[in-house]
Amino acid sequence: MAGTADGTAKKKSAFAGALSAFSADIKEIGTTFAEGDWKTRVSYLIMGFGPILRGLYAKGWALFLSEILFIWYMISFGGQYISKFATLGTIETQKIRRKTVYGDNSFLILLFGILTIVVIAAFIYLWRLNVRENKKEQDRLRAGKALETNQKFLFSLLDENFDKTLLAIPVLGIFIFTVLPIIFMICVAFTNYDDKHQAPTHLFTWVGLENFRNLFSFGTSGFGKTFLMVLIWTLAWAFFATFIDYFLGLAVAMLINKKGIRFKKLWRTILVLTIAVPQFVSLLYIMRMFAADGLVNSYLLKWGLIRTAIPFWTDPALAKIMIILINIWVGIPYLMLIATGLLMNIPEDLYESASIDGANGWQMFWSITLPYMLFVTGPFLLTQFTANLNNFNVIYLLTQGKPLSTNLAGNAGHTDLLVTWLYKMTVNDTNYKMAAVIGIMVFVVTAVISLVVYNMLPSVRDEEGFQ
Amino acid sequence: MKNKALTAALSSAVAVTLLAGCGSGTASGTGQEATADTAAAEETAEAETEEDAPQEEIDYGTGEIKVWVADNAVDFTNQQIKAFQEANPDFSGYSMVVEATGEGDAAGNMITDVEAGADIYVFAQDQIARLVSAGALEEVAPENVEAVKAANDAGAVAAATVGDILYAYPLTSDNGYFMYYDKSVVKDPSDLDAILADCEAAGKSFYMEINSGWYQTAFFFGTGCTLSYETDNDGNFTAANVDYASDAGVVALKEMIHLNNSPAFVNGSSVGAADAAKMAAIVDGTWDAQAAKDALGDNYACAKLPSFKGADGKTYQLSGFSGYKLLGVKPQEDEGKLMVCDALAQFLSGGEVQLARYESVGWGPSNLEVQKSEKVMADEALTALNEQMLNDVPQGQYPGDYWTLATGLGDSVINGEISDKTSDADLLAKLQEFQDTCISYAK
Amino acid sequence: MNEKKYSSMSVRRAIGNAVTYAVLILVSIIWLFPFFGLLMTSFRSYESEYGGMIGYVIPKRFSLDNYRFLFSGENNYLRWYGNTVLIALVVSVLQTLMVLCVAYALSRMRFRGRKLLMRFWLILGMFPGFLTMICMYFLLKQFGLTQAGAVPGLILVYVASSGMGYYVCKGYFDTIPKALDEAARIDGATRARIFVQMIIPLSKPIVIYTALTAFMAPWCDYIFASYVAFGNDKSYNVAVAMTRWVWTNDYQGYFTRFCAGGILVAIPVTILFMCLQRYYVEGVTGGAVKG
Repeated sequence: MAGTADGTAKKKSAFAGALSAFSADIKEIGTTFAEGDWKTRVSYLIMGFGPILRGLYAKGWALFLSEILFIWYMISFGGQYISKFATLGTIETQKIRRKTVYGDNSFLILLFGILTIVVIAAFIYLWRLNVRENKKEQDRLRAGKALETNQKFLFSLLDENFDKTLLAIPVLGIFIFTVLPIIFMICVAFTNYDDKHQAPTHLFTWVGLENFRNLFSFGTSGFGKTFLMVLIWTLAWAFFATFIDYFLGLAVAMLINKKGIRFKKLWRTILVLTIAVPQFVSLLYIMRMFAADGLVNSYLLKWGLIRTAIPFWTDPALAKIMIILINIWVGIPYLMLIATGLLMNIPEDLYESASIDGANGWQMFWSITLPYMLFVTGPFLLTQFTANLNNFNVIYLLTQGKPLSTNLAGNAGHTDLLVTWLYKMTVNDTNYKMAAVIGIMVFVVTAVISLVVYNMLPSVRDEEGFQ
Repeated sequence: MKNKALTAALSSAVAVTLLAGCGSGTASGTGQEATADTAAAEETAEAETEEDAPQEEIDYGTGEIKVWVADNAVDFTNQQIKAFQEANPDFSGYSMVVEATGEGDAAGNMITDVEAGADIYVFAQDQIARLVSAGALEEVAPENVEAVKAANDAGAVAAATVGDILYAYPLTSDNGYFMYYDKSVVKDPSDLDAILADCEAAGKSFYMEINSGWYQTAFFFGTGCTLSYETDNDGNFTAANVDYASDAGVVALKEMIHLNNSPAFVNGSSVGAADAAKMAAIVDGTWDAQAAKDALGDNYACAKLPSFKGADGKTYQLSGFSGYKLLGVKPQEDEGKLMVCDALAQFLSGGEVQLARYESVGWGPSNLEVQKSEKVMADEALTALNEQMLNDVPQGQYPGDYWTLATGLGDSVINGEISDKTSDADLLAKLQEFQDTCISYAK
Repeated sequence: MNEKKYSSMSVRRAIGNAVTYAVLILVSIIWLFPFFGLLMTSFRSYESEYGGMIGYVIPKRFSLDNYRFLFSGENNYLRWYGNTVLIALVVSVLQTLMVLCVAYALSRMRFRGRKLLMRFWLILGMFPGFLTMICMYFLLKQFGLTQAGAVPGLILVYVASSGMGYYVCKGYFDTIPKALDEAARIDGATRARIFVQMIIPLSKPIVIYTALTAFMAPWCDYIFASYVAFGNDKSYNVAVAMTRWVWTNDYQGYFTRFCAGGILVAIPVTILFMCLQRYYVEGVTGGAVKG
């Protein structure tokens, strides 16, 4: 992630590189066929044919079997989905007497359509691999060398190819449970999948950019205004939640680390409790504490400090402030732990020489501690910021996005972040199409902020900066 | 512990989940006019269920039937199902499983994944349009329709109908609200200002959830406004009848502001969430009767909602929704199973079971016969509710967005975005916007 | 002169310390109060004082009613608890394995597409997790891992994508000198052997950190767990089951029971956390510096 100009240049060259690699690939497939013996040529149709005849049974049969599997998959499963992919299904659900006969399930067509496309791509890759292996074997035999044995290949999976062994399961897992769903949801953003078009009873279909148009339409029923308001609050929240916690955490860490303060461990342990206790327990309790008739209001009323209950959760401004305050309670301990560790790394002699120069504590903080901390934790602050953009728990457990308002569309509330709004759209309104659009927008916001800020960080610009 | 819970349940207390504050309302009152001619029909209905099966020797197949009811009704439902199975050996191919999923969650879960949802489930009637349009509700079996319509009160039947098709079996008519109050504090429960004055003087609170689309209608319907939707047979909203943007609407909104200005006012409608020591009156439903008794002790009393003196000098009686709990059957791919489901739903919503359910968990019946039974008539909370129901509007179908919109309006009052400083013109503009948005939901 | 300055400094320091103590005590009270309140509420009797909200902290009479309720068999609390423990344990083990594998491969091996893979995962991480909830649900459903099968389903989901959280661990591996690997390779050790016999033993703190965070996460998961398990009481985890007691009106007066259940959840997790705190700090700090 170098400078932007640099980046685009790199991307261009990467693109050109990929293109030339691709054409080279095609050419190689051609020449391999032209120059190949009959075993190789048959392998173009029947994968693994060459290796089997050359005595590499394990490899050959594996390739052959995967071809069979692929064909079986396409015929028995994938084919039907991919053929309906363009329309997402046309057969409506109907009633035969009182029995319900479900028609096409648009959801599954979309999901398995995507899966099938990926399987096809994987098969093409495997086929290419099959061609390449044939060529390799042929070349070796022509050069009079022995073929690589299976045993050696298997052994290499524990040594020079160990990365493949290690990464196989994680990559597969991430593909099925992260990549595939994300592709799916991106596709949903271009369909009309919502409460009126819900599988299996109803079909949904492609609608192009309509949902995005809705997001940016500022009319009465459009999402534009609401989206902007939620976005602004999301950014403001992430900013406050990150920096207030950061500075207060630093302050608390310094207080505890102060010379002459005893029971350091005790103080830390008390703070760290908030990390240890599951949030759904602690935050729900605190939510109740500040409810209109909760503990805090009851005591304040009892002591005559207020006449009516303070609307902690029903006043939009107050609710926002409360969330930020309570997040301090949640967030400080992390920062305190981190700061404690880092503060000890600051060379003692920096402070000593500063104090000889007559600097007081405050000056030392500004000129030594803070710059050092900011420098070292720059990237951390960034990740913290993006994490707060998506900080679901605190908001949802405390307010569920409430209070709501007539001024906001899509059932958004004053304290909704983009993610909680997205969640409510999915679960309460089953408005999947708009949820998908919002999800994409969250991604865009996160990506833009990360890129811009990352390139501005001193520790990235100048690796040797603070020495 | 078990006994304790059971006794508590026995004496009353229905738990209704009001997702987004939408419940349904009551009823023994609404249907009273229709009672006379229906008793006979109801008996036929019950006879039918029992005779149906043995005569024809149909193979109903095998499988599992999943039933969703609220947690506190699980034991009761299990007992009834056992009785049902004993009475209908033909259905022995089916095992029946009861899961605790309250009315609030049921609709949402059914819509998320119809396939994995229950075959028979209880829901609050405001969800019916959503469920129908998501394909999660099967029409009531044709042979049961007439019997169901005859046996239950008119409001409940209307609530179970979308377009002109009966989609669900009425289960209760108790989903409405009235007032619980503390006799020692509130002297005159018929006048809102007097109640507030009493509460203020005693340093106690008056609870009403004005930011709920459900409770809010007490004001608007009270001053004569209307808000209802028309739906087609698929549960789509086709038209809205709403006149909030009117002088009557402004009077109602002003009364909400007036209430909000009282130091005694607390926004809330759950005894469980209220501070028991400070609660002097609460607008709430029968499901909280036991909790209210516990909280108010000897001073426990119930009454219909009070009236208030509007900004225009006239006196209005607070109105509200009357709502219902319904039993729905999911569309089935197997006709045999559907028949069993229908029979079970018909049984669980029948008069005898409704009476037993009232006795066991305190849910107020929708069955006209049962409503007139002695035991039900003697119930203080149900009596107050019945009185209130006379002023209520049977709750029809509302789009999910309405509830959130109404919460928005209520929140605006509570947080002072709308206050007594807001001019009449601005209030009217606000209501116009509200009304336009309501209309925009019906397309 | 010197002496005077010294003593004025020590007075100032003493005042400074006093202020610091005052602040720390205040902070401690704020931090502890919710837990104290939670504990007290959990002891309030359901029978004699009511299970809902009440305007005071300390119950009039202490009782174990709420705890008795949890174990009474009237609800599936033990089952929920068991589910959660099971999920947490299995996820903890499997996720640690996944993370270690990924981190080692990315830290020690150089292969084609390594940078690309890392960048791709970074980008994937920028999509909000809830976006894909509905899709995950139906994916799991294809394997029969929802509702009744929700527990293994949840484990699968938690573990499957955990490889993407390799940063902290990779950062730690990066600090172990490569010279060690090379020396071992010259002696004929395979990569696999180096990984298992050398790197992992050297990385005890980070292994414990990874396992600990993986163990704690499932205790709090309400969102996805409720989405996958809906309508099947027996496969809920504690968070899903107990948030109902606060949020839904079906459960009037369950607030004290919620508190009691919460306390029982918090105790083991907290104890475990406190015991392993040292490793946690090491992981968090390392992660923070690496970014």
